[in-house]
Amino acid sequence: MPKEKFFEKREKELTEDISTLEGYINDLWEIIPVAICITTPIFTLLETSRSFNNLFGYEKDEITGSPIETIFSKEEDLKNLSEKLFPRKKILNFEISGKAKGGKEIPMLVSAIAREDQEGELVSYIFSFVDVTLIRRVEGTLEEKVAELQRYTVQLEGSRRALLNILEDVESERVAAEKERDKTAAIIKNFADGLLLMENNKISLINPAAQAFFNVSEAEVVGRTIAELEGTAKIQSFAKFLNKTGADIFREELPLNENFILEVSTVATLKDAKETGKIIILHDVSREKMVEKMKTEFVSLAAHQLRTPLSAIKWALKMLLDGDMGSIKQDQKNFLEKTYQSNERMIALVNDLLDITRIEEGKYLYKPTVTQLELVAKFVADSYKDEAKAKNIKLTLRKSDSLLRPVKIDVEKIRLAMQNIIDNAIRYSAEGSEVIVACSGNEKEAIFSVQDSGIGIPKDQRTRMFSKFFRGSNAVRIDTEGSGLGLYIAKNIVEAHNGRIWFESEPGKGATFYFSLPIDSSNGKI
Amino acid sequence: MAQKILIIEDEKVLMELICKKLEKEGYAVETAGDGESGLRKMRETKPDLVLLDIVMPKMNGFEVLETANQDQTLKTIPVIILSNSGQLVELDQARALGVRDWLIKTEFDPQEVVEKVVKQIGAPK
Repeated sequence: MPKEKFFEKREKELTEDISTLEGYINDLWEIIPVAICITTPIFTLLETSRSFNNLFGYEKDEITGSPIETIFSKEEDLKNLSEKLFPRKKILNFEISGKAKGGKEIPMLVSAIAREDQEGELVSYIFSFVDVTLIRRVEGTLEEKVAELQRYTVQLEGSRRALLNILEDVESERVAAEKERDKTAAIIKNFADGLLLMENNKISLINPAAQAFFNVSEAEVVGRTIAELEGTAKIQSFAKFLNKTGADIFREELPLNENFILEVSTVATLKDAKETGKIIILHDVSREKMVEKMKTEFVSLAAHQLRTPLSAIKWALKMLLDGDMGSIKQDQKNFLEKTYQSNERMIALVNDLLDITRIEEGKYLYKPTVTQLELVAKFVADSYKDEAKAKNIKLTLRKSDSLLRPVKIDVEKIRLAMQNIIDNAIRYSAEGSEVIVACSGNEKEAIFSVQDSGIGIPKDQRTRMFSKFFRGSNAVRIDTEGSGLGLYIAKNIVEAHNGRIWFESEPGKGATFYFSLPIDSSNGKI
Repeated sequence: MAQKILIIEDEKVLMELICKKLEKEGYAVETAGDGESGLRKMRETKPDLVLLDIVMPKMNGFEVLETANQDQTLKTIPVIILSNSGQLVELDQARALGVRDWLIKTEFDPQEVVEKVVKQIGAPK
């Protein structure tokens, strides 16, 4: 083939190749997702890819021929970029602030490369732009999130520490509670009284003392209801006793057999004013009961043994004095009269002693009756009429202004208390003076009082007035006979009635003794 | 015929004293020194009144009362207790057994005992 023809053919082939290549490039230019542009050596835009146009918002024709500054929002960005580009001819991911049509700023990364011809002459630049708005936004959010996370971390760290502290506190509380529990358990275990605990109507605890009382084991009782225990022979009577009385029990006696008596008390355990269970306390009173019985028997016997010879003397003397054994001379009679009086004092002393034995414990009132205190006072005062008259003392019974409310009393014992007080008043008052017995009262109590203008009570002896066998020093001087038991007996009686006893006195001018008794609230009829 | 009084009392001196006093008043008096013989004499003599002590050997006053109460012929005989004890428990017990009166020996003298007797069965005929 001639040379010309060859070149011609070759040129044609090359032209076709270039055109094909151009087509490729144009196609690529259309679809490549990166914004790309080609500029002149002085940065005039020559070619732009579709992505470039889309990114900056220009039509191809609109932007072609414009200086590249058009798409830069900051002059210094371009300056920095060109300074780096000249010596190196290539820059990668240079951060700039781009500018879209209308002025909107777009953060972007620019890469650029300088293109030279075969002689090394600069012919153009190719720029690529990547929009990093989203990345920046994500980065921003990320940073915020990280900061937030850090804050949370700090908070969590704080919470963790606080939790650890709480755990430590809880631990020490637990240790303290355990100690307390062990202590309580030791007390309950070694308690001489029987203790049972009921929760949700079931026995949840029975201490060794209570187990011993009923001769039962813990396993036989714990977890059972009272109704269930009624089927257990050993503890049956106790279960029935509890079942019978629904409300709280205070010191009620439960005889298990003739010689074994328990005193039962129950206390409701409350939480927020609601009953959650019961504590049952069992106190063995067998010994007390036995002693009480022995005491009654002793008093009866002692009364007999002590009084029998005294009554024999009394009767014999009396019959002699009355002339039943034949007539006697006056001086003999006087002598016998004195002996008789001595014997009477002896009888009185024995009576006092017996009263004390009976009353000392004070707890047991015999058949309390609802009555008016004033009636009892009148009865007792009347019985002293003769004695007062003999001593030329005016014994006055002062009536209360209004009707007193009734009291519930062991009449016999209250009479005895009144007797002792009135007896003292008459005994220690001068002849011709007055003793005033009075009753008064209010809604809550009835008050009995005896006022005299006798010797009074020395100041330094006030606290001992109600002691056993105590007698005021001034009283001893007047009368050597008193037993020192009268006020002691009176105090025991009054206190057994839940009353109070007291006095007011000015030495040498007299004394007023009072006792008060609570009004009977049972609304009982007189 | 004078009314018959039975005294059941273990304390000899007291028994003699009250016996003498009542006889002097004009009553016919029988005596017994313990509860057991007292009960026997109650059956034998059918007295108009019994003066009964409480604390006595062999059979105490309460036991005498309980036994007498079961016997139709003795049940109606009035009884006055003559004792040195006087606890309310005992008084209530005696009252329940139909006792007419209760005298504490140290509190009453023989003349007053006579008055109580007269109150129950009248002056001696």
